[in-house]
Amino acid sequence: MTGRALPVIARLFERWGLWVAAALLLAAPLVADYTPFYLALLTEVLVFGLFALAYDILLGHTGVLSLGHSAFVGVSAYVTGLLLVNLRSIPVELAVLAGALGGLVTALLVGPLALRKRGVYFAMLTLALSQIFYFIALMWKPTGGTDGLGNLPRLFLSEVFGGFRLSKRPVTLYYAIAATVFLAMLVVRRIHRSPFGRVMRATKANERRAQACGYDTRRVKLVAFSLSGLFSGLAGALLTVTLEFVPIENTHWTMSGTVLIMTLFGGTGTLLGPFVGSAVFVWMRDFLSKKLEYWEVFVGASFVLIVLFLPEGIVGTLRRLVWMGGLERAPHAPQSLGVPQPSWSTPRSPARLGGVTAPSPLDAPGDLAKPSPSTAGGNNADVPLLESRGLTMRFGGLTAVDGVDFQVRRGELRAVIGPNGAGKTTFFNMLTGVLPPTAGRILFKGQDITALPPHAVSRLGMARSYQVTNIFADLTVLENLRIAVQSRVTTFSLWRNADALREVTERAERMLALLGLGAKRDFPAGALSHGEQRYLEIGIALATEPEFLLLDEPTAGMSPEETKQTADFIRTIAGRVTIVLVEHDMEVVMGVSDRITVLNYGKVLAEGSPAEIRENPDVRRVYLRD
Amino acid sequence: MLFGYPLEVWTTQLFIGLVNGCILILVAQGLSIVFGLMGIINFAHGIFYMLGAYVGWLTVQLTGNFWLSLLVAPAVVGGVGVFVEIGVLRRIYGTKNANFAGVLVTYGLAIMIPDVVRMIFGRPGKPFAVPKLLTGSLFTLGATEIGGYRVFIIAITAALLPLLWLLLNRTNLGMVIRAGTSDNTMVQLLGINVARTWTTTYALGAALAAFAGVITAPLVAVAPEMGGLILIECFIVTVVGGMGSFVGPIAGGLLIGEVLALTGMVYDVFADVVIYLLMAVVLLVRPRGLFGQEGVSEE
Repeated sequence: MTGRALPVIARLFERWGLWVAAALLLAAPLVADYTPFYLALLTEVLVFGLFALAYDILLGHTGVLSLGHSAFVGVSAYVTGLLLVNLRSIPVELAVLAGALGGLVTALLVGPLALRKRGVYFAMLTLALSQIFYFIALMWKPTGGTDGLGNLPRLFLSEVFGGFRLSKRPVTLYYAIAATVFLAMLVVRRIHRSPFGRVMRATKANERRAQACGYDTRRVKLVAFSLSGLFSGLAGALLTVTLEFVPIENTHWTMSGTVLIMTLFGGTGTLLGPFVGSAVFVWMRDFLSKKLEYWEVFVGASFVLIVLFLPEGIVGTLRRLVWMGGLERAPHAPQSLGVPQPSWSTPRSPARLGGVTAPSPLDAPGDLAKPSPSTAGGNNADVPLLESRGLTMRFGGLTAVDGVDFQVRRGELRAVIGPNGAGKTTFFNMLTGVLPPTAGRILFKGQDITALPPHAVSRLGMARSYQVTNIFADLTVLENLRIAVQSRVTTFSLWRNADALREVTERAERMLALLGLGAKRDFPAGALSHGEQRYLEIGIALATEPEFLLLDEPTAGMSPEETKQTADFIRTIAGRVTIVLVEHDMEVVMGVSDRITVLNYGKVLAEGSPAEIRENPDVRRVYLRD
Repeated sequence: MLFGYPLEVWTTQLFIGLVNGCILILVAQGLSIVFGLMGIINFAHGIFYMLGAYVGWLTVQLTGNFWLSLLVAPAVVGGVGVFVEIGVLRRIYGTKNANFAGVLVTYGLAIMIPDVVRMIFGRPGKPFAVPKLLTGSLFTLGATEIGGYRVFIIAITAALLPLLWLLLNRTNLGMVIRAGTSDNTMVQLLGINVARTWTTTYALGAALAAFAGVITAPLVAVAPEMGGLILIECFIVTVVGGMGSFVGPIAGGLLIGEVLALTGMVYDVFADVVIYLLMAVVLLVRPRGLFGQEGVSEE
C-alpha cells in the first residue's frame, strides 16, 4: 500500500511543497505559541535557512566547497547596520538592499582570486581571504571591534510593504522577513531551473566535460559564487534587522563552518533542506544547549554521522526513501519487462543507422555542422580545416610529441595510429586546448588556436570523445545530451526555464534516438553499460554540433559486435563532419578512414591511404616488433 | 635602531619567532604528510595537539614526571589517531568526493572533541609548570632573559626533524609514504598494504602534533581551544611552505613564526592579517608553495 501511496505523496510534495511551506509560514504566528520568543526564533531559522540556501547554490548545485561565506554575511550585516546607525532616516528596505549588494561586491572581490584554484585549495583560499574581512572588522573603529555593532535604532518596520503594519513588532518583523525569504526562495528556485542552473549542475557533475562542451566553467563558478554572495548578503542584512545588533562572530570563519553544517544537515541540492538544517541547528543551539551543557559534542557527532551515513542530509534522504518505496512503479523499467536488452545495439538496427533517412540532429535546420566535402570551405577551400606545425610536448625529460606537422582537409576521415605511448592522446589534448604545447602552433579554420582554453576551442566547432569514458555520470542520459546542445544556445540566462528551450530538448531527443538510447532517456548516465556509455560519449561530442570531431579510441573495451556497430556509426556521420580518429582496432581503421597518419615516439612515421600504410615497410616494422 | 625599534627588541622577537616556528613545524609536518598521502585536509589535526597537551598534563599530575609525558602523550594520542582513522576516515576513502568528505568529518570532530575535553576536564585552562630542570634563564639575548625551556624546544625540534627525515627517507614505511604521495593507485597495484600504511601515517601525524602539544604546554595554559588556534596557523604554514614536502613545513613554519613575532612587535592584531595575506599571495603566485612538489597541490 505504501508502495503506491508514497510516490503520490512525493509527487504532490514536489509540486505543492513550496506552497504548503508558504501556508505554514503564514499560519505559524497564529498556531504556534504566540510568544515573541518563538517568533524571534522562527525568524532566525528563516534567515539562517536563507543563508544556507545561498550557500547551497555553490555547494549543492555547483559542487564547490567554500569556507569563506562568513565574509558575505559579515560584510552585509555591517553595511546594513552602519547605514541604520549613521543614517537614522534611511528606510529599512534600502539598508537591507544595500547589505545584499555588499555581499555581492564582496563575492566579486573574493571570487576572481579564489577561483584561480580548485577543490580543497579553493576552500583554503576562501577561508584565508574571508579572515581578512574579519580582521578589518576587528580593527576598524566604526564596526565596534569585539563588542560588535550595537545601538541600532529600534526598527518598527512600519513602512515595510507599503505601510502594512501589524500590531506587535515581532509579528510584523516575522511577516516581513518570511515574505522576503520566501521571495528569495522562489528566485533561487527559478535560477536552479534556468539554463544556467543546468550548466551549474553539469559543472558539478564533471567540470572538465563541461569545459569540453564549450562552457567557461570558471566564469560559471564565478557567477554562481556571486549569486551565492548576493543571497548570503541578503541573509546577513536580514540577520541585522532581526537581532538589532551586529556581532563580530558573523564575520569569523566559524560562521562558514556553521552554514556548511546547516546545509549538510538539511541536504544539499534541495530547496527545503537548508531550512530544515537551519531549524535543526537553531534547535540544537537554543534548546539542546539548555539541556546539555556540552551541546557541541552532539552537534559535532551528529555532523560526522550525517556525513558518513546520510550524505544526502535529512530532506535528501527522506526524498530518496519515498521515491525508492515506489521504484517498482517508476516510469522507466524496460529491463523488468522481460525484453532482453543486453546492450544498446538491439534497438538501433544497422539499417536505421546506415540509412540516410535516419533522423539526425545534424540535419536539423540551423546546425553548424553541415558543410559536405564538396561545398566546404567556399572561398578558402585550399586551407586545411586543422593544421599543426611543429607541435611539441615535453614532460620533463620525456618528449611525448615531437614536432608534428599535421593537416586535415574538410570532410576527411583521418585515423591516427601508433603503438602505445606514441603520443596520440597527448596530441589530442594539445589540439583541444587541454594541454598547452611546449612548442609549435595549431591552426583551426585558419585561426591560431594554440593558446585557447578548451571551452573556446569547443566554441569554434571542435569536439572530442575521450579514451577513458568521460560523461556526466550523475545526470540523466537526456540531460547529458541536452547540456551539450545547450552550449550552442545559451549559458548565462538565469531567468528562463531550461525545459522551455524546446529546440534544445528536441535536438537532444533526436541525438538520443540516433544513439539508440531512447529507452534509457531518464536513466542516470552512470547506470548505462560500458558500451552505452561509450556511445553517449560520442553523442555528447556530436551534440555540440562540431565541424571537427576527434574520437579517442571509441571502441575501447567494446565487444566485437559493438565495435562493428560503432564503425558503421562513424561511417554514417563521416560525411557530415570532419573526423580524426585514434584507434587500435586495425579492422576499424582500415575500414573507415580516408587517410592514416602513423605516430611513433611522438613523430610522424608515415602518412597515406590505408593501402599505402598497409604496405609501408616502416609501419610494418613498428607493428611487427610490437 | 632598525625601523624605529632597538636592535635588542628585534633579536628578542626573532628568537620568540624561532620558538613558535619550531612548534608550528612539528604540527605542520603531520598535517602535510597526511595531506600528501591521503589528500585529506585534516581539520582534526588541532585536536591531537590539544589532546597531547592534556595527556601530558595528566601524566605530570599522576607521576610528577614531565619527561615521561613526552613519551606518554604521543603514544596515547597516536592511539587516538589509529581509532579516528579506522573508525571514521576509512569509511570515506574511495567514495565520491572523498576529499570533501574528509574535510567535513574531520571538521565535525574538531567541533566535538574540544567539548568532550571540557566535559572531562572542565572549561578553564590548566596551568602546566615548566620542568624544574629547565626553569630559570640560560642567557641574555638583547634585553631579555632567555629561559632554558625555550632553548629546549628549539633543541628537541632540531633533534626530532632528522629522525623524521630518516623515517621518511630511509625506512620501508617512509618509502611507501613517499611513493603513495606521488601515486597512490600504483602503490596499491604493487600489492602493498596501503590501509595499514595510512593508519600508521595518520597515527604518526597525530603523535607529532601531540608531542608539540606537550612541549608547548608549559608556555601557555592547557585549554580545549588551543587546537583550533594552531590548526589555522598550520594550514597557512603548509600552504606557504608546500604540502607533501619535508622542507616545506620547516620553511613555512619558520617564516610564519617569524612573521607573527615581528608583526606582533608592531601591532598585535595586524600579525594575524599579515599571515592570511601571505597565504593568499603564495596561493596565487606559487600555488604549490615554496617547496611543494609539482602536481601534488595543483587541484
